[in-house]
Amino acid sequence: MQKNYKNIMQESLDFKNAEYKEIRIEETVSTRINYNGKSRENVSINSHFGGSARSMSKGGWGFTSFNEIDLAPSKMKESIELANFSQNSAFEIHKNHPQKVALPAEVKKDPRKISLSEKINLLEHYKELILNDKRIQGCEIIYGDTERKVVFADSDGNEIEQNFIHVILRVAANSSDGNEMLQSGFSIGSLGDFSIVENLDNKVLECAEKSIGLIKAPKITGQETTVILDQILAGVFVHEAFGHLSEADNVYENKRLQEILKLGEKFGNSDLNITDGAKIPNLRGSYEYDDEGTPSTKTPLIREGILVGRLHSKETASKLGEKPTGNARSISYAYPPIVRMTNTIIENSNNTKEDIIKDTKDGLYVKNWYGGMTEHEMFTFSSAETYKIENGEIKETLRPVKLSGNLFTTLKNIDGIADDLEINQGGGCGKGGQSPLPVSNGSPHIRINNCLVSSG
Amino acid sequence: MEKLEKLLSNHFEEHEIYEEENEYKSIAFESNKLKEISIKQSKGFAVRAIKESGLTFSSSSNYDLEKFGSNFIQLSEYPTKTSIKFPKDLQNKNKAKIYSEEEFLIDNNFFIDKLNKNIKKILDKFPDALCDAEFDLGKGKSFLKNSNGLSLESKESGISFFISAQIINGNDMLNIYNYTSSVKNIEDIEIDNLTNKLIENLSVAQNIKQTPQKGCPVIFTPHGLYQTILAPLLVSFNGTNLSKNLSKLSNRENEEIFDKKITIIDNPLIDFSTSSRNYDGEGISSKLNELIKNGKFISGIFDLKTASEYNCKSTGSASRSVHSNTFPGISNLIMSTGETKINKMIQQIDEGILVDHLLGAGQGNELSGDFSANISLGYKIEKGKIVGRVKNTMISGNSFDALRNVDSISKENEIVYGSLELPYLQTSNVEISS
Repeated sequence: MQKNYKNIMQESLDFKNAEYKEIRIEETVSTRINYNGKSRENVSINSHFGGSARSMSKGGWGFTSFNEIDLAPSKMKESIELANFSQNSAFEIHKNHPQKVALPAEVKKDPRKISLSEKINLLEHYKELILNDKRIQGCEIIYGDTERKVVFADSDGNEIEQNFIHVILRVAANSSDGNEMLQSGFSIGSLGDFSIVENLDNKVLECAEKSIGLIKAPKITGQETTVILDQILAGVFVHEAFGHLSEADNVYENKRLQEILKLGEKFGNSDLNITDGAKIPNLRGSYEYDDEGTPSTKTPLIREGILVGRLHSKETASKLGEKPTGNARSISYAYPPIVRMTNTIIENSNNTKEDIIKDTKDGLYVKNWYGGMTEHEMFTFSSAETYKIENGEIKETLRPVKLSGNLFTTLKNIDGIADDLEINQGGGCGKGGQSPLPVSNGSPHIRINNCLVSSG
Repeated sequence: MEKLEKLLSNHFEEHEIYEEENEYKSIAFESNKLKEISIKQSKGFAVRAIKESGLTFSSSSNYDLEKFGSNFIQLSEYPTKTSIKFPKDLQNKNKAKIYSEEEFLIDNNFFIDKLNKNIKKILDKFPDALCDAEFDLGKGKSFLKNSNGLSLESKESGISFFISAQIINGNDMLNIYNYTSSVKNIEDIEIDNLTNKLIENLSVAQNIKQTPQKGCPVIFTPHGLYQTILAPLLVSFNGTNLSKNLSKLSNRENEEIFDKKITIIDNPLIDFSTSSRNYDGEGISSKLNELIKNGKFISGIFDLKTASEYNCKSTGSASRSVHSNTFPGISNLIMSTGETKINKMIQQIDEGILVDHLLGAGQGNELSGDFSANISLGYKIEKGKIVGRVKNTMISGNSFDALRNVDSISKENEIVYGSLELPYLQTSNVEISS
């Protein structure tokens, strides 16, 4: 822990009248480079520096955030006053075995050691590759790298410093059919490795080609059909369709939902296994300690179709009498930690992708993603590429589709899981106004029956 | 800051410093109980500077200004091309009321009691409901100063009330919410109305009904209208997309593109509306902008940069936060009302849907105006009456098509998302599937 923070943090934790207290100080520096069309729209460096204090008293929470670090003790006092407005009953909050550690960032190829001009030249090159094709109307490139240092201390004696470096890139090509703009793109990311954004010429050219391919692609009408999802879209599917409901803050105060999402209940077929965990190393959702100082874990959520676990903060684990999983995360010092996913995966089964496709008479092959959302048991997610499947063969390109489903039926409708797990790190997750939080999702190819699909 | 200004003057032809100080308070109930009270203070600044037609931008909440200055000079080796000039003075001294301090002086217990009272009202009717409810208060100061002599200071404030209820029946999870916001304290009557409406909607939505056949008439509530049709449409009005020729509206001013019944304006000068502003993020006086008039596309919305690229004047629509460069953004969007009362519109339908909330809107090809989403809250209309809720149903279509032939627009309007004044609207050019 940095010496100059240590005293002020300790002073903040000395106040009485709260059963639990924590304090965080955070520093970030982000580089962003954007292209839109032919021109470079933005090159900027933004830095943040601030802290927050959180406390719990009688089952209620107080939270304050600030930019002037010297104010930390008075802000802790204020957070305790706010917590004490609670009229709830007290509960025993889980205590971690205290840790005093300082962890450096995981780095493979450090983006901080790459000059701004090298980064710009690389992106200029990708832009030229796309715009060289005269059928292309425009392109969008977003590059970002962020260095984040978080220092955490709590009233249980934890003192934890962690450092992270994230790299993200989105590349998209726009074409037009004379009436509508069509876009094809890809998003990638890494924890501390700039090399993932290098040597992407083929991928960039393919993206331009796919965008042009959309020009003649027809739209489908709304229908229920069989869909085969590639690894990227299946990763988004597991995040939206199941991941969010496995976050215990949905359940811990909700008796009815606890009955529905009871551990031991069957949610899928026997080859369905789902896991989440920040302990899985070197992914964008990986860390050693969450933002409440709880050590990260690898949490089995579904084993052989049966619900076996859920994701916890200190509070949800304490109230449900389960073990904390280290899933309390906040997007920055300005927000309190809430239960979030980290790296969420559907595990391999023993089919091959080829067999699953061959076995499909009529349906859609949906790849890549635009986005996804969940509201309780309902969810939607959207593909960036769609192809018709007829008699076991992939046929013509169609316009992207939106897929929609319901937790209770759709997971059971998965009737084919392949053996080709891949993890996508290009996404971010939003919840409670905290977006985009770095996460990764992964899956092998999967097939879902009776999925509601519409164009758009 | 003076040192930084001097450094910028020495190195650049023009510069601008924007600084913001904000305080937010939130009093939040979760599952019928007070969960958390938070107070967030933030402070930060952003600098834009121009040299040889190149613009450099950087922002920080770290007040190590010496370090910031030297990094900024280095960053200026990689500027983005620009032909803008920062304004010298405000053209109009608008006086819309956008600030009130009173709610910050109110004791927390006042808000806690109000939230408790409204949740109790729901629980009296639906004892199994789990309610989340929240008051959010915000106030802030911003300073905008540029090297051409402009120096502005503005105070803003806002308060919002949110309430939601969840009822679980078997495997069906029904969740309905309501929301309102204002620059100054929200009247009790408005909060009562929102809670009463929520109770009314919960009662109707208990009945799950079969989704009507494809091609059925569809009415959008003001909330549903924005989420489904207007949000993707507004992407095409944005100066960024117009200037890049990515918008379907690029260079089509004065063309009749929509139904004659459609008129939409963006008015930033309404007293006490949460999105009001007297001048925009780069010091251009705010003004009322006509977007669509009787079906004709009149204008998009622009900041200085996108206006210079589209060869027009800024519409005073530059939005900014302290950590982002400016971008064109709407303020208070108002769609003109129609001739028919909403009750009459519903009465005339034999079998149809009233669309209120969507899940997954805005995640497709928005530049084309396409939309597609799950109807997370939609009511079934049978023989002229709302009889229940539809489920596992999707809606898709295209905003341009949906507004090309509009069946009818309601006489009434409602304020949604705090600052959008919209009517109910019926159109047949959408597809329902289940």
